[in-house]
Amino acid sequence: MTPASPGGMPRYFGTERELFGISHPGSPMQARHAVLLCPPLGQDMARSQRLYRLLAHAISARGDAALRFDFHGTGDSAGDSCGISWQRCVSDVRQAADELRYASGIDSVIAFGARLGANIALSAVESARLHGVLAWDPIMDGASHVEAMDRLQTQLLSDTTRFLRRRHDVNPRDEWVGFPLDNLLRATLQNVRLESGPSLKLLIDSMPSASYPEWLAASASITRYCHIERPVRWLDLDAQEDVILAHEVIDAVLAYLAEDGV
Amino acid sequence: MSEAAHRFGATGHLVGITGIPDPALTTRGVGVIVLNAGLVQRVGPFRLHVSLTRRLNACGYATLRFDLSGLGDSGVDGNLRSRQEQVSADISAAMRLLASHAGCTRFVLMGLCSGAANAHSAAREHAEVVGAVFLDGYAYPTYGFRMRHYFAKLIHASPGRLIKAIFRRIRPRSRVAADPLFEVGFPPRREVASDLFAMLGRGLNLLFIFSGGASSYFNHPRQFRECYGAIALHPGIEVRYFDWADHTYVLGSDRAMLVDAIAEWMCRKFPD
Repeated sequence: MTPASPGGMPRYFGTERELFGISHPGSPMQARHAVLLCPPLGQDMARSQRLYRLLAHAISARGDAALRFDFHGTGDSAGDSCGISWQRCVSDVRQAADELRYASGIDSVIAFGARLGANIALSAVESARLHGVLAWDPIMDGASHVEAMDRLQTQLLSDTTRFLRRRHDVNPRDEWVGFPLDNLLRATLQNVRLESGPSLKLLIDSMPSASYPEWLAASASITRYCHIERPVRWLDLDAQEDVILAHEVIDAVLAYLAEDGV
Repeated sequence: MSEAAHRFGATGHLVGITGIPDPALTTRGVGVIVLNAGLVQRVGPFRLHVSLTRRLNACGYATLRFDLSGLGDSGVDGNLRSRQEQVSADISAAMRLLASHAGCTRFVLMGLCSGAANAHSAAREHAEVVGAVFLDGYAYPTYGFRMRHYFAKLIHASPGRLIKAIFRRIRPRSRVAADPLFEVGFPPRREVASDLFAMLGRGLNLLFIFSGGASSYFNHPRQFRECYGAIALHPGIEVRYFDWADHTYVLGSDRAMLVDAIAEWMCRKFPD
């Protein structure tokens, strides 16, 4: 293996070396936290790649360890985009957490995830032995999310600023903004719900509608809450190829790490 | 096919993924390097570059998809260079990496949008480059382009819209248009034509594929001839026009068709 680079060390890992990740080792003497960065799915992942990279650098710069990785069937990992399954993603979190433990020497791993990445991490808390999850705009209700994404895809197919002619030849239920979706994944996502509990350590809210405060008030959770004034346009058709840069998210995660011993 | 992650370049600042074909396949001496499309990281828009490189690996070609300096996961090497010099240095490093891992001595460059612009300048400069695929690459509006463009608008426009369009044309501009977030500058047509002529003279094979997303400057396969004259008839150049597709190939069926077209062209033009 080549020496660690400040930009992180890219490599394949997993039982068949099928998962791609970039390891940011931090400082061996100072590292207290090991943070697993779970990406969102679909175009949210591409849009937030830069932010994940900056976050990993920021965590590493304060001496802590981080690992960002791609789920099977996404990014540089093995597998086709049409083969993404929820169970596989949950299992990938477990493998990635083990990889981070091995690389950092720190047993207690905390996960960060945006959108569905947060929900997947929450589903993997037990199997991956996660200390907790820092969630950025997690999906509260899967059925509403599926509806919103179907609506977005329908708008996209009719978008004559993108296409010369409306694309009636394509079924809007087969894809969401560039990424295929099979019936099994669709059915799984329909049932996703944000559950309250001690695993959800931090909820970062950059959604335009203020739904999380009500949800937090109704749950008995002691989750920390961080609201970002400038909403992120996750579901805006015109923003689907824009990079998401929200430094407030990085600040919120660093503040959590600074204040909380894991 | 096996993929491996690398840090490479003068200071290890570049990140890329090599794809080496299964040893059971007939290996080809040509390696394929896929460049970033705009600011999108190396996986490409909607993972296009992953599908493309894996398909080419299955055809027996070694591939590298990587991030140029400052894009995706790549950093910068600290040298003060112009962007074009930096791109050239990065592509040199990419060719060395693929040569050392797959033994390739000849390379085909592929890129969409700014990737096509970078592939063009590198194909002009580097003798090891034997081919290039330009997705929404350089072309220029011609008389024929304008005729087709305005005629289409005319026949689809209602009288109301037509009057508004004419009014917009003659009214002085009251506000400055917002700067685009990302834009590729096109060099003068004569310069590009001269580059293409030189590349063809060196024996390069060039594939231009335009999408419907390039309709602001390209709207018919015939336009390539209108634009570059006799160069367009050279057997080393092929032009396709996927007018149904958008600029970044957001639909899976469009991406599949694009990957098929590139793989077919590669196998035909670079059989060894």
